Amino acid sequence: MPPNREDDDDVDEDYDGLELEEEEEEEEEDGANEYDDDEDYGSRGGKAVGAKRKKSTASIFLDDMAHQVDDDDEEEDGDAEDDFIVDAGTDLPDERGDRRRYNDRGFLSGEENDEDVDDLERRIQERFSRPHEEYDEEATDVEQQSLLPSVRDPKLWMVNIGREREVAVCLMQKFVDRGSDLQIRSVVALDHFKNYIYVEADKEAHVKEAIKGMRNIYANQKILLVPIREMTDVLCVESKAIDLSRDTWVRMKIGTYKGDLAKVVDVDNVRQRVTVELIPRIDLQALASKLDGREVVKKKAFVPPPRFMNIDEARELHIRVERRRDPMTGDYFENIGGMLFKDGFMYKAVSLKSIIAQNVTPTFDELEKFNRPSENGEAEFGGLSTLFANRKKGHFMKGDAVIVIKGDLKNLKGWVEKVDEENVLIRSGMKGLPDPLAVNEKELCKYFEPGNHVKVVSGTHEGATGMVVKVDQHVLIILSDTTKEHVRVFADHVVESSEVTTGVTMILSFWITLVLDNPSFGVIIRLENEAFQVLKGNPDRPEVALVKLREIKCKLDRKISVQDRYKNVIAGKQGPVRHIYKGVLFIYDRHHLEHAGFICAKCTSCIVVGGSRSGANRNGGDSLSRFSNFKAPAPVPPSPRRFQRGGMGYNAGGRGRGGRGGRDDSLLGTTVKIRLGPFKGYRGPVVEVKGDSVRVELEMKIVTGNPLFNFSACGEWTLNDNCYGKRNTYASFTDSTSSLYDSNAGLGATPIHDGMRTPMRDRAWNPYTPMSPPSRRRNLLFVSKTQDIAAAADAENRFSSVHLVAADAIFFHFIF
Amino acid sequence: MKDVEGTCSGRHGFVVAITGIESVGNGLVRNGTAFVTFPVKYQCVVFRPFKGQILEAVVTLVNKAIWDSSEAGPVQIFVSKHLIPDDTEFQAGDMPNYTTSDGSVKIQKECVVRLKIIGTRVDATEIFCVGTIKDDFLGVINDPAAA
Repeated sequence: MPPNREDDDDVDEDYDGLELEEEEEEEEEDGANEYDDDEDYGSRGGKAVGAKRKKSTASIFLDDMAHQVDDDDEEEDGDAEDDFIVDAGTDLPDERGDRRRYNDRGFLSGEENDEDVDDLERRIQERFSRPHEEYDEEATDVEQQSLLPSVRDPKLWMVNIGREREVAVCLMQKFVDRGSDLQIRSVVALDHFKNYIYVEADKEAHVKEAIKGMRNIYANQKILLVPIREMTDVLCVESKAIDLSRDTWVRMKIGTYKGDLAKVVDVDNVRQRVTVELIPRIDLQALASKLDGREVVKKKAFVPPPRFMNIDEARELHIRVERRRDPMTGDYFENIGGMLFKDGFMYKAVSLKSIIAQNVTPTFDELEKFNRPSENGEAEFGGLSTLFANRKKGHFMKGDAVIVIKGDLKNLKGWVEKVDEENVLIRSGMKGLPDPLAVNEKELCKYFEPGNHVKVVSGTHEGATGMVVKVDQHVLIILSDTTKEHVRVFADHVVESSEVTTGVTMILSFWITLVLDNPSFGVIIRLENEAFQVLKGNPDRPEVALVKLREIKCKLDRKISVQDRYKNVIAGKQGPVRHIYKGVLFIYDRHHLEHAGFICAKCTSCIVVGGSRSGANRNGGDSLSRFSNFKAPAPVPPSPRRFQRGGMGYNAGGRGRGGRGGRDDSLLGTTVKIRLGPFKGYRGPVVEVKGDSVRVELEMKIVTGNPLFNFSACGEWTLNDNCYGKRNTYASFTDSTSSLYDSNAGLGATPIHDGMRTPMRDRAWNPYTPMSPPSRRRNLLFVSKTQDIAAAADAENRFSSVHLVAADAIFFHFIF
Repeated sequence: MKDVEGTCSGRHGFVVAITGIESVGNGLVRNGTAFVTFPVKYQCVVFRPFKGQILEAVVTLVNKAIWDSSEAGPVQIFVSKHLIPDDTEFQAGDMPNYTTSDGSVKIQKECVVRLKIIGTRVDATEIFCVGTIKDDFLGVINDPAAA
């Protein structure tokens, strides 16, 4: 804005700032005109300010706009001079407008000087006599569009200079002196845009001409044309419409209190200052010594923690405390060294610029702190409602349950019917109230009831889901699905949702992750915003690390089994094994609340929960009971050898329900698949269970060329000792199936047959000969109850040992 | 039959017992196995907790924030500390419990409480409940420790 405007057009300027941006361009013209006019005014001895002046500045402003629209219509030749004049007329005496008109016309055409003054006056009168109501509303988009500069309008040129204000004034003077010679329309110097002025003119030459010989304008100055598109932007005032009101939460931007939450208690719009309420960070000792005039050693980077001011404490330190009454509010403040305190809070007047008012989302803790001293009576979360000022668009959705938090209808509950811009139509169902009822968005808050399942959509706990267990005004306490912990959130931050984050988390927690450095791995126990909490596979102590997605090397499939019992005796915890990797088990214990219930343990320190499902062991009732049939490998491994080797991972599936009668029955008849050893991949029903061994009737492949000949064999495996098992296998094979075997012998060696005669057979024959662990391990036998696997695998995701038999192989169930 | 009893479907709840089989459909041989699957229609008793239901449950776990109780069935019900009477306080120690200020009522493991379900969450294979005992006629009804 031209500097001189400030002198006499303060009010106008205020409006400039507040009004719509699109108008700024035109307005600037106004400004320039006004300036010119004023100048004229002075130089010509001035006439009395005409009747037009009496109009409220607002209406002038609006009228201007109207005029310009009109002008565009009327003056088809696009002669912008008319704009100019008429604008001038709006807040100047008519006669002056006329005179101006002469002038301008003069320099444009030089012919119209004779235009009838009365005529013009009449025209202007005519325009202004229109009712203003018409323009009470803001100009519509279309109207505003027509105000935008077009190609026919004078261009805006940007000139690089120093002392832009001075130049602008000089140009003004020049214009006054030279009058119509100067073919520029206006000059703009913007405060926030140093070293440049904008000159409005039709041609670059005009600008050059105008600025020629000016001081502060560098020679050969480049004059840049402002593209039409950007013309409006040049004069746009960044409308920082911060509606700071009392009780708004803000954050401090600078100083000791940087980042601290503060509550606005008073706003001084004129001086751009606000008084805020803070929790003081004052080192009383330091303050005391400072007030005593002693030297205070300034420790850098030391910020006293926020705590409430205790006046008595201060007095003890001989700090002078004055008690004063604020003349405005009548409240008493304690004054310590120029700082004001009340109820432990500090009251500080700060500049608007030093606070952040946008997007302040106080955390619950912060609010609680602020709330603490005022525990008497209603623990109202003072400015809580102001929190809602920051909420996003589309905050309310149709069907949301809401509660009115302000005004006469406070505590009225209803459902959102429709959302308009600011207003929300709610259906309250109350008698005597219009239905639907329009309520301002800011007066509403979401409403939840205990038991609702919600999802947190913003704030610190974003993404969490849970069930509302308590509603305390606008604060909900949610029992998180994932962590089973209580989470406190604002009602505003959540939406009702049936979605369960655990779903996602659980899927992910089935991942065993290999973390960046190779030996470490872990299981995801919790999802955070962009990272996972991983319980590392360190059996010695629980170690939780935060891992980013990219740090995860790979997800491990669960095709792993270990050679031990699944039950942690040492820790006394029990639960189903969720993951196994490198001999480390991840056990899920729902009573274990840390780490999402996961326990990490070495497999050797675990045994399968064995034995009786007598009902005393309730937990065993779920998946652990699966192992119940194998009580034989008692909690203490019978022999070190077996223990060392880890015996055989017996991963029996199924719920073991059949096991009630006795452990033998449970496996009997169930189809098992042999996982390792020569019979690897074969399956069949268990026909006998003897101690640790099972006798399995194998289902055999049809021999090619002779589909009628089915091959059946019966093998016996021990559950823990595979060498023993092998012997039995062979023995039983020859014994029980000798006839079949013989009959098939002629068909040539079946692969099975060969397979059974493993090289190790001889060695394996003697079960009592200790074998070297490696070979045993290789022959580890693994039997699974396939029947239950389908169900169990779904539920537990851990029967990774099951491979489905290839579809091309048809098995016949051969009973003998 | 044994396979289904004790399972839980989100739609129907926990299958407690099968009362009768209505029909057995045509079997379907599964590829690659000797198994045949039959669609079986059966009637059964289900347990499906619903909001507002009042039931009796055994406390299985007490901890600081939540005490978790398990109904005399398969469903786990969580009772938040916010949902037990206000005058109750948590006592840590060997046997964590919640005790009323006068010490007359003690909520601890193994005791039976009557509670009201305030919300359920139904997964495909699990039902999860949140309950309250903060209401009239709700609370401990039998304490084995005291008895």
